[in-house]
Amino acid sequence: MSHDKSRREFLKNSLIVSATLAGASFGIIDPVEAGAENYPDMCICNGKDAAIITRQAVEALGGIKRFVKPGAKVLIKPNMSFARSPETGANTNPVVVREVARMCAEAGASRISIVDNVLNNPADCMKMSKIPEYCKDVPNTHTNYVKNERLFREVSVESGTQFKKMRALSDALDADTLIAVPVGKSHGSSGVSMSMKGMMGLIYDRTSFHNRYDLHESIVDMVTVLKPHLVVIDGTRILSTGGPGGPGEVIPLDLVIASTDMVAADAQMVALGKWYGKKLQPKQIKHIRMAAERGLGRIDLDKLNIKKISV
Amino acid sequence: MKRFQRLIQFVSFGIFLLLLVWAAYPETREAPVDAFLRIDPIIALTTLIASREFQTGFIWAAIVLISGFFIGRAFCGYVCPMGSTIDLFQSLIYPKSKLRVTRAGYEANRGRRSLKYYVLALVVCAAIGGVSLAFLVAPVSLATRFWGLVIYPVTLWIADLGLDLATPLHQYFPDLAYIQISRRVFATNMFIAGFIVFVSALAVKGPRFWCSYLCPAGAMISLFSKRPLVHRSVNSSCTECGKCVRNCPMAAIGEDPHSTAHRECLLCLRCKDLCPANAISFYPNNETLKPEPFTPDLTRRAMLLSAVSGLGVASLFGTGWNEPRLLGQERAVTPADLIRPPGAMPERTFLRLCVRCGLCMKACATNTLQPIWFKAGVEGLFSPSLVPRLAACAVNCAVCGSVCPTGAIRKIPIEEKIQAKIGTAWIDRQNCLVWNRDKKCLVCGEVCPYHAISFQPASGRRNGVPVVHSNRCCGCGWCENKCPVEGAGAIKVSVVGELRLASGSYIEKAKEYGLEFKVADKKFDKLAPDTFESSGIDEGGDPPEKNVSPKQEQLPAGILDE
Repeated sequence: MSHDKSRREFLKNSLIVSATLAGASFGIIDPVEAGAENYPDMCICNGKDAAIITRQAVEALGGIKRFVKPGAKVLIKPNMSFARSPETGANTNPVVVREVARMCAEAGASRISIVDNVLNNPADCMKMSKIPEYCKDVPNTHTNYVKNERLFREVSVESGTQFKKMRALSDALDADTLIAVPVGKSHGSSGVSMSMKGMMGLIYDRTSFHNRYDLHESIVDMVTVLKPHLVVIDGTRILSTGGPGGPGEVIPLDLVIASTDMVAADAQMVALGKWYGKKLQPKQIKHIRMAAERGLGRIDLDKLNIKKISV
Repeated sequence: MKRFQRLIQFVSFGIFLLLLVWAAYPETREAPVDAFLRIDPIIALTTLIASREFQTGFIWAAIVLISGFFIGRAFCGYVCPMGSTIDLFQSLIYPKSKLRVTRAGYEANRGRRSLKYYVLALVVCAAIGGVSLAFLVAPVSLATRFWGLVIYPVTLWIADLGLDLATPLHQYFPDLAYIQISRRVFATNMFIAGFIVFVSALAVKGPRFWCSYLCPAGAMISLFSKRPLVHRSVNSSCTECGKCVRNCPMAAIGEDPHSTAHRECLLCLRCKDLCPANAISFYPNNETLKPEPFTPDLTRRAMLLSAVSGLGVASLFGTGWNEPRLLGQERAVTPADLIRPPGAMPERTFLRLCVRCGLCMKACATNTLQPIWFKAGVEGLFSPSLVPRLAACAVNCAVCGSVCPTGAIRKIPIEEKIQAKIGTAWIDRQNCLVWNRDKKCLVCGEVCPYHAISFQPASGRRNGVPVVHSNRCCGCGWCENKCPVEGAGAIKVSVVGELRLASGSYIEKAKEYGLEFKVADKKFDKLAPDTFESSGIDEGGDPPEKNVSPKQEQLPAGILDE
């Protein structure tokens, strides 16, 4: 590389950076979207093959490279806290999780950590969810459960209404990219459990959310900090009743939703599914509505740029 | 040659520890994990007398006794895990120079040496009175309880501490963070540890103080070891230097170095190693022993006192208010939360059989089995009881009975165990979220593996209230364990309705009593015993009205009206 060229590049880069900064400061350019074409806010991909629809959905958002830079540390948060097999819908479809992990590996992630704080016997959750089994051959990927306090550390929740501090998984706080890969399912306490409720699997003292605080407010407090960069909701089948653990009615929807907006993704999953034998409006789910009201994402699905694909 | 003794002792203790580790769920190994407990003569004797029943397992202890004819107290020196434990701890506490008998020679220690025979007499007489004191004095019981309920959890604790201290390394080895150990906790552990430390510290008065002066199992073997086939003999090259007399850890050599108290000799071979004249040998021989071996000198008065004390202890226990079932009384005066493990014998028999070795508690899959203090009286010290608030009894596990050396907990297959009702849950309405605070909560019903809790309408309550169907409740304690109410919880297991059968089938008895225990079938093998399909799935049974809410169409919390 010649001296000249690198100088030229330096100048060019400086120009781009200052222009971007200037743009950002005037609100012309959203820094997250900087340099991007017009990505859709969300993609809903329909199809029978879970791996293909997962990949297509993420591709439609601009591809995984948009979220995972080479050498990045990625934390994937699936649902795998029940000792139940994939078809029961209590855990995320292992094929979906594997495909997300594969994409991260292809993007050059240095470490891909797939983690959940399990509710049932840890070894059985790992065995029955099949997520470790499916993901073991994906490069740089490690699937683990978490139980021990030493894996968590305190983090402040500036805009918390219920609490100002919480203990969250250190690995998640340190990750360059946080990806939520929940399954769409019903939930006896929060109505439904998707990307936002699912983040409770990265919290040490979950019971306080149920007992001490208002659960719905707590979920929103939590996701102000544990805000996923990418949400991939497994809608290959949903657990329509009996959630979070089941057994309950499992409805195949053959779709995957990908979005950068956790609130919108969750809202979309609510709108697409049938819950407790009913169609529900996203705004009926207390924590989703609260999250939108607190400006964490959008619930006005009709105003979003949503790309729909069928494969 | 002393190395030989140490080698055998090391191997033997290794086997003891291995069997202790193997005493765990799942019972995949056919290994006799209770082998060491079965060969303890005092466990066999007290259990035999106190329970008035012969068990074939006692034959192993008889073999140990008979071994006295051939190898004297070699069992104590080579095999006994309590002996090895004391050897280990006394050498940790004291420097080698201090580990010697303060008064050398057999004669100097004659008096207190008789103590162990008195202890034996006391224990036997207490057993005649129907009280097993094995838990206080049986060496293998003491050692098993110590290693199982103190050292085992401490080892896990240390490993966990190590992982804690290694936290700074997580940034270099991220996977290190995910090594997670499930620790164990045991009640009464300080007392168990303290006792062993105390017994080992007695070595200040002489090495293996316990074995020389107190151990009734040692006393039993001594009775058979007057002239063992293999014994110490001294030939004519002895210069009477007295080195062996001063160094014998058991003070088993008299002032005359030719003499030996074979009843006290552990065949450790130290004297043979030390002898400058090479005058000592231990080869089997029948030549006349010179001089005549010592005999224990017991006084009639002390013997009588011991026997009376034994009966006295038994009589005090028998007239204490914890007596399991008073004559002519319909009910026992037992605390409501004295939940015995599934398959436990009727209380009186149970206490006579249980030697408090702690193997059931060590093996327990969930750590719910805990040694108790005085909940069942002094007589029940260290006996196992469930603490559901700590953990529930895993449905598909019967390991406590399978490891029990004396049958205090019956060895029953899983199918029987699932029907072995240990108590019944009851709801403390003053604390229940649904009853008292008019909240919605279904936790107890959701976790119940026996479908024993349903939710029914109650006047003045917005949500269905939990109702325990006692004929379906097995007392496993899942509900009590998971109840979200802090402190004691609002649903608790009590002994009501427990099945304590000395013999016969729990399945048949349950049928006779109209009990309907139905758990979801295990669909998958090789899962933890506390993993089961949640209560909604019921294959073959018709569950009670599940989660009936006053308003059937009511949606769960968190969903707002349109």
